[in-house]
Amino acid sequence: MISAFLVFNGQGQPRLTKFYTQLDTSIQQRLISEIFTLVSNRPAGSCNFLPLPPLLAASSTSHSSTEEQSDVPSLVTYRHYATLYFIIISTTTESPLALIDLIQVYVEALDKLFENVCELDLIFNFETLHATLSEMIIGGVVIETSLDRIVAGVRAQGTVAKRPVNEGRSTIGSGMGIGGNFAWTGRV
Amino acid sequence: MVGHDMSWASFHVLEVMSSPKYHQKRVGYLGAVQSFRQDTEVLMLATNLLKKDLAATTPTVISLPIATLPHVITPSLALSTLADLLPRLNHSHANIRKKTLVTLYRLALVYPEALRAAWPKIKDRLMDPNEDPSVTAAIVNVVCELGSRRPHDFLPLAPRLFELLVDSGNNWMAIKLIKLFATLTPLEPRLVKKLLPPLTNIIRTTPAMSLLYECINGIIQGGILDNAEDISGADEIATLCVNKLRGMIMINGDANLKYVALLAFNKIVLTHPHLVSQQEDVILECIDSSDITIRVQALNLVKGMVTSDNLVPIVSRLMKQLKSSSPSKDRRTPGSSSNTPETESDDEAQTAITAPTVRDTQALLIPDDYRIDIIERILFMCSKDNYSSVLDFDWYIDVLTQLVRMAPVPRTFDADTGALLPTRQQVDVSEKVGDELRNVAVKVRAMRATAVRAADVILDQLLTDNPVGHPLSSGALKSTIWIIGEYSIQLAMPDDSLNGLLQAIPRIGKPEIIAVALHATAKVFSSIAGSELEPWTSERKSRISLLLARILDVLDPLALHPNLEVQERAVEFIELLKLTAEAASGQPPSTDENNQEPPLLLTQAIPSLFAGWELNSVAIHAQKNVPLPGGLDLDEPIHSNLGRLLAQTDIVTLQSDEADDFEIYYHQRPPPSSISSSAPAISRLADPEDDMANSYQQPSEESYLDADILAKRRAERLEKNKDDPFYIPSDNILRTSTPIHNILQNNNGPALDIDSIPVMQLDLEKIGQTVAAPSRPRPQPRQRVIVAADETLEGSDSGTGRQYDSENSSVNLTKAKSKKSKQHSLLQVDSSTIGSFSLEGNASEGFDYERQQREEAEMQQAMKEVERLRLEMQRANERIQMAQGADVQGVVIKKKKKKVVKKTAGDDENEATTVKPKKKTKKAATQTVEGNEPGGATEDMPGSPPVKVVPKKKKKKKASVEEVEATG
Repeated sequence: MISAFLVFNGQGQPRLTKFYTQLDTSIQQRLISEIFTLVSNRPAGSCNFLPLPPLLAASSTSHSSTEEQSDVPSLVTYRHYATLYFIIISTTTESPLALIDLIQVYVEALDKLFENVCELDLIFNFETLHATLSEMIIGGVVIETSLDRIVAGVRAQGTVAKRPVNEGRSTIGSGMGIGGNFAWTGRV
Repeated sequence: MVGHDMSWASFHVLEVMSSPKYHQKRVGYLGAVQSFRQDTEVLMLATNLLKKDLAATTPTVISLPIATLPHVITPSLALSTLADLLPRLNHSHANIRKKTLVTLYRLALVYPEALRAAWPKIKDRLMDPNEDPSVTAAIVNVVCELGSRRPHDFLPLAPRLFELLVDSGNNWMAIKLIKLFATLTPLEPRLVKKLLPPLTNIIRTTPAMSLLYECINGIIQGGILDNAEDISGADEIATLCVNKLRGMIMINGDANLKYVALLAFNKIVLTHPHLVSQQEDVILECIDSSDITIRVQALNLVKGMVTSDNLVPIVSRLMKQLKSSSPSKDRRTPGSSSNTPETESDDEAQTAITAPTVRDTQALLIPDDYRIDIIERILFMCSKDNYSSVLDFDWYIDVLTQLVRMAPVPRTFDADTGALLPTRQQVDVSEKVGDELRNVAVKVRAMRATAVRAADVILDQLLTDNPVGHPLSSGALKSTIWIIGEYSIQLAMPDDSLNGLLQAIPRIGKPEIIAVALHATAKVFSSIAGSELEPWTSERKSRISLLLARILDVLDPLALHPNLEVQERAVEFIELLKLTAEAASGQPPSTDENNQEPPLLLTQAIPSLFAGWELNSVAIHAQKNVPLPGGLDLDEPIHSNLGRLLAQTDIVTLQSDEADDFEIYYHQRPPPSSISSSAPAISRLADPEDDMANSYQQPSEESYLDADILAKRRAERLEKNKDDPFYIPSDNILRTSTPIHNILQNNNGPALDIDSIPVMQLDLEKIGQTVAAPSRPRPQPRQRVIVAADETLEGSDSGTGRQYDSENSSVNLTKAKSKKSKQHSLLQVDSSTIGSFSLEGNASEGFDYERQQREEAEMQQAMKEVERLRLEMQRANERIQMAQGADVQGVVIKKKKKKVVKKTAGDDENEATTVKPKKKTKKAATQTVEGNEPGGATEDMPGSPPVKVVPKKKKKKKASVEEVEATG
């Protein structure tokens, strides 16, 4: 299952943190900063999987027995869009490639909701961010992967606030070329 | 919220949650999800609110508490909300249904009984072919999670799951189904036959890479590769999988696929190592990937597939990585430390030229723990099976020498406090490298001289690398010094080595290394001075007295060393050497007329201290096999009054001036000895790292071995091939060593350079042999090296000894495991309760829920009763108070007092209602009839006690909510 879903920007400021197991705030902060240092040092063209951050690695090595492996978070998947990093921490019951696609679905859903989503949208409408996530993942289990249903589910909860006039700012959608990433959707 | 603490706002969050307006409620719930935890106190107050919102009519409102519950769930909360959640499984909105279902799963994790009530309904949903496909997918996800914990319970579902796998076109669900089947197949081998056709079909046809990967993964994990009945079929599948994986690695530029393919290879390698080793080429490519995650995976794989054929190339690759990632250490080659300005600038220029070409792909900084990882793996691969893969020990020793230089400096002691940094146990990797060198020296007799020479080089290197006055901290020092001491006979220049040792001793930080160094000094001294044959001339006499004086000078301060071991050894050797010095000075040197023997102490006594038996490596478990001598009782105390003796030593206090000595020892280092550092002559050679120097015979050595090691290797090779007519010496050695020759060569033109013309010497005797195998590439000359095996005691009890040991360790392991399993890792979901929970108690299935409903009804009755009583009493009270004319405050106090009384009354009432259930609503009555029989059976179930506790809590909660309302 999914243990945490995180979004932070290029400076390491968190924009969305969702931990499906409760953690102390200080540990959350440490985890985020550890993952950020890992993520920000990735060379271009490397794969979307991170080595375990020290915090998780230390705790998972104490569980050497294999039968408990399925409960321990052992996979950190990330994707980088324009100024934002999307992170999923999960256990081995999730498929690594499917998680990459899951992030893609999430970003596409946001893009549909906001029409060319950008980081500012996420700052000012973080409720929508959470609402979208809770349409896809509940309690660490993926419940929906179809884009239309997710968007419909969020819209049913109330109108998504529109940002004021868009003065031609660069958006994530166009900036990161969501269209270009559609190659991934072919995978699943 | 976003990484900030907001526990202070919990109460306000609760207030917003209870707002009647949806958009406010939504914000409140969001706050709760993000900030509430299991131990948040206001959670108790939220229970009723959650229950109320669960029963709301608007779907959007219902989904708020459903989405919140997984984040805050506790057993008691699970118990009280279960009854409200279960009906939501039948909600008309698919969205609500699937959210409820997942929430129920999270409930079950903390409160397994919830699953007993929910499972039949979930199962119905799964079996229903008309169910919304997204709900089915969610159920599959949940079942997959559950299945990884208790696969047994889900075997009966296999037919339906199989149907879903074949018919549904949903790739997401198919992935999960395959994962689930992978956990089921080990339990039910018959599934394998069923599963194979659809899986191979998917593998062959699917366009989705993730599904393809999961199929392969499922085949591997489900053990389908091992237990398929017909071997040919299994092999066919395995080959298909491996080929597909190979394809995934080969796809250009997709690092993700490379990573997952390596992951899969790592799993296959356990069962089918031969298949994976066929893919060696692509895997080795991955070792040089710029991506560390991929590299680590590839390294894991490579470790398992090393043979004597590919060891050298693999290790070369790894060494190259290490070397290219440690530019700071490159400079520290003795070549550049010899301080002639020309060579230095040359060095700079050369690195500047080569840097962009060599390092463009490797530019990234490799973290230290990865470097340690690499070094450890190199050591593991080489030493595997008692060095069976190492053909060329010369090469291996050179690699080790290089590794000592490249090993990252471990995090050192905190100098001020003297305490180790509170990190996980830091194993100094250079110590391991040193141990490896020692092992080679001990086990491989033929290589001993080489190993000793390498140890000498390492010691020199360490001395010159660390500036004078700095402590020597390398972990390799201990083994290096031991080798020098133990095999001092093999030293090329024992005097120089003794010099090095004496220089090193005052600078060594760790006492255990000093102890080793003391011994080594004595050994080297005995090998220098102990020769019996050499005549006792005045020359020899003065030389020995000089040596003794120098050794004593170094050893003297150590007699006061705070470490007992060091102190003892130092005192012993000082006394012994003083005696020797006296004997040496007392013995007049032999002249022409009377022949004097050297003093016996020097030639007999001291060498006999070290020359007894040769040390051999001993198997780990050999100690266990030593039979216990009769009459030895290990439990018997050494001294009858040991406790008192030990206590006495504690009382002895150190005198203050003594303590000062210790202070001085620790904080003021003795001035460095004035012996000039003798850098190896070979280091004065010009840097041979020339592009021209790349010989094609040893294509990659230059790229990972340091200059001086290379020079040595080259010299050795030259020596070895001196008589080989086919060997063409590379001319660069000549060039670098004798520049004059070079100038001549240039002046005279190449035509005159006879040296470089390969002249085949005709040897008539050997001609037959050369003709016999003219074109066949020369096989690598296998050195005839005998690697000594570990010594152990023979006999029947060796097996038992080992067994005893393994038993022991396994007991320890399980102990440790059980201990560890209690502490949870970060973010880990605790599923220990559900793991031991069985769904198979069908008789009592569904009972709990109904029973609970019944009790709820009873409770409500009781509460109403209590409320009525309370009001009555309050009214009575008020009447009394009105009569007495008391103030308002008094009312409140009285009210509280009464409450206690009322509570007991309520409890009585509760019991009373359980006695007479006839009074309840008809619905409740029918349920009691239904649930009557199993009621007795589950009376002693673990779930039932909390049921009785809950009413009190609820009352409290209700009371406090009332108070809140009163105040707010």
